[in-house]
Amino acid sequence: MESTSIWETLARIYENTVFVYGSVLLITYALLAIFSMISVRTYAKKDNFNQDITLLGSPLAPGITVLAPAFNEGMTIISNVRSLLTLNYPKFEIIIVNDGSTDNSLQQMIHEFDLIKVDFAYNAKIQTQPVRGIYKSTNQAYAKLMVIDKVNGKSKADASNAAINAAAYNYFVCTDVDCILDKNTLLELIKPVMQEENKKVIATGATLRIANSCEFDEGVMTRMRPPKELLARFQEVEYIRAFVLGKMGWSLLNCVPNVSGGLGLFDKEVAIRSGGYDHSSFGEDMELMTRMCRYSYDNKINYAIRYIPKTLCWTEAPVTVKVFNRQRTRWSRGLAQLMTAHFGMFMNPRYGRMGLIIFPYNFFFELLAPMIEFTGIIYYIVMTCLGLINWPTAIILLFFVYTYSVMITTLAILWDQLTFRYYKTWQEVVYLCMTPFMEFFLYHPLIVIFAMRGYFYFLTGKKSTWGNMQRRGFKTAAAK
Amino acid sequence: MEFSFYEFRYAPLSIQIAFIFIVVAITCTIIAYLSILRGRYKAYRHEKKLASLHPVIDNLLMEHILLNVELANDTPAEQVQLPVEVFRLPVFEHRWAREALIDRLIHYRNNVRGSMGEQLRNLYIQLNLDKDSLKKMKSHKWDKKVQALAELTNMNMSIADVTILPLTNSNNRELRAAARHAYIKLSKNEPFKFFDVVTEPLLLWDQVELFKIISTTEHIAIPNFAQWITYSSNKTIVSFCLKLVVHYNQLSAVHAVIKLLDTKDHYLRGDAINCLGKLKIEDVQEKLIHMYNSQPLNCRLEVLKALGRISSGKHVGFLRQEFLHSTDFEVRKHAAKSLIKNAWAAKGLIQELIDTATLENKLILKHCMNPLIKF
Repeated sequence: MESTSIWETLARIYENTVFVYGSVLLITYALLAIFSMISVRTYAKKDNFNQDITLLGSPLAPGITVLAPAFNEGMTIISNVRSLLTLNYPKFEIIIVNDGSTDNSLQQMIHEFDLIKVDFAYNAKIQTQPVRGIYKSTNQAYAKLMVIDKVNGKSKADASNAAINAAAYNYFVCTDVDCILDKNTLLELIKPVMQEENKKVIATGATLRIANSCEFDEGVMTRMRPPKELLARFQEVEYIRAFVLGKMGWSLLNCVPNVSGGLGLFDKEVAIRSGGYDHSSFGEDMELMTRMCRYSYDNKINYAIRYIPKTLCWTEAPVTVKVFNRQRTRWSRGLAQLMTAHFGMFMNPRYGRMGLIIFPYNFFFELLAPMIEFTGIIYYIVMTCLGLINWPTAIILLFFVYTYSVMITTLAILWDQLTFRYYKTWQEVVYLCMTPFMEFFLYHPLIVIFAMRGYFYFLTGKKSTWGNMQRRGFKTAAAK
Repeated sequence: MEFSFYEFRYAPLSIQIAFIFIVVAITCTIIAYLSILRGRYKAYRHEKKLASLHPVIDNLLMEHILLNVELANDTPAEQVQLPVEVFRLPVFEHRWAREALIDRLIHYRNNVRGSMGEQLRNLYIQLNLDKDSLKKMKSHKWDKKVQALAELTNMNMSIADVTILPLTNSNNRELRAAARHAYIKLSKNEPFKFFDVVTEPLLLWDQVELFKIISTTEHIAIPNFAQWITYSSNKTIVSFCLKLVVHYNQLSAVHAVIKLLDTKDHYLRGDAINCLGKLKIEDVQEKLIHMYNSQPLNCRLEVLKALGRISSGKHVGFLRQEFLHSTDFEVRKHAAKSLIKNAWAAKGLIQELIDTATLENKLILKHCMNPLIKF
């Protein structure tokens, strides 16, 4: 009798905790939706008056280094580098890091871009694997291009750090060599840095989208479409929610938790002083951002991290569950690593909003969320087996969570559509709008399982590398 | 499963809340879909209307202004008859159509000069479109004001100083910038007067925009920027003026720039050194070398760069010393670069350094000598 009452007490505590947790999470999402609406609308209104052309011809434009690490990207490396060379900006350089590729990436680049090895005074401000050689083009058309050939560092972080060491300018844009950038990416990313009134902008990010069903011509996006494959389409919806609703909402509070590794502009000096990317981290982008914030607080730099709701980068999403699993496992493992490494910042008033808002949010609603959901499902199953479920109540609550999640995602799509109208036909928008209805049942459970797998690997210390994405390439626009 | 109001009233609080939220969520989702649909439909209708109106406007402008032979021969606009009546179409009673007309007039005015541009301006006035712009100017919304300022500036319509000057210090960045542009473009006597009243910092973006306006506006009286370099308490104005001094090669401001070397702000001091280097002021080299050791890194690097830009060949010994003995990589690199720029006076020295330098220093020298490497 006594043991039953203990279980009942525990069950009640668990239920109440989950209820409070869920309520706070839902309120947070509602607030983020409101904040993001303000942010996105303000951005769109102001953007009408900021003409890119002014910066394009200006001798006062700050220089930017675009760095893109490549590992065995021989299939697409030439067209990807050509795509980067078409960027619209008055003062920039491109650094491609051949991170010990075992294919013929380097030879292809040497041949295609007339590269020769140069005596470059490489100053290793951040320690990396040895650099074997630095190449520049003898062809004036490719004067902006530099290729670093280095020993494989088994991480994107190590390759990025080598490029940061060689970068000439005060700002760098980090991207993946297989990402397709909008031609005005640099103009857009530098604007928040130049327009900030009272703070030092240490990083700027922009929205990423899925490239799978889009059309490209010579590395330029010509037609945007929602992905045909269901898994990729789920990711498109997730990206819209994360970037347009999440990051834009946080941007209003100057609480952006992360600038995506796919595309971000960073202040080089702060990045170097913070130690650069951590090659042992599985979430090196978020890890660097955290350290840059920490450095700024420690050195009393009044910093800001800004986000742009405009889509400036398209990346290929995994379309098989196997590759998707690998990607998400790595991300969640990176999150767990980050939380452990910087736990001193948690609820620490010394780190301002970072310690009191971003860290607790990441801890409770990013790190713990899969665990709570997982235990919730188990609890549900146990209660069902014991016949202790009040089905009408359970169904109402489940329906509540379902409709709420659909609403949040739909609002993200709405902000995106009202501001940018990316898709050409309304059928494509309808196609995308239908996706959140399935996300709850098909996509979300996968995310939870892969996150749990990542945490398990983190706890057991299983070895893994940044791995191969197994890319399928982009759709090319049909010739007219 | 029937769920009456009675049952709702006596249901647990969590269920009541859940019910309310379900209704809110479904309503919001439906409103969101309707908004997407409405937004797309409105944009589609607007695009369609513009697509049919633009050719009408273009044909009228082509026929009566852009292909007018007299205007093409640069006959003064006031001597050429403007058939205003043909432009008074019923469609222009709608605000959206007048907006479209203003946009097209601005577009063409930005692409033609002389009498044609003047005639487009006349048309803008005679169709009372300037009244539309002035009405927007009185709006409480900042974006309307910015739009009005852009229209009036592009149409070269004068605006009273008392209206614009307060806006040059507005809290809204976009409005502030638009007012400053308008002031520079439209002020007949002292286009830079707002430099005296600016209390807010000039952001880098503002500087880029102002630089473009100043350097591309015709018939603008360029003042001596030394007055602001000497007297302005706004550091960003001083820094911007230093850039303008370089752009206009304003040697008359050199004395004021040299005085700025004594400022306590090391960023401003760095800008002043940079300016002197770009102006290639030989006489200042001694002073720069004299102050070098007491400077922070950014100023030291600027001094080294200035010695390279001036390239007088008189201070290769100093550059050699910095190159060989500095422990800072950047200092050595800039010293080497400046040595290479002084190569005409230090050929033997450079060869000697290549032969005797450490491996790293030799690499720095080769780096700086390689024309493929710019930085």
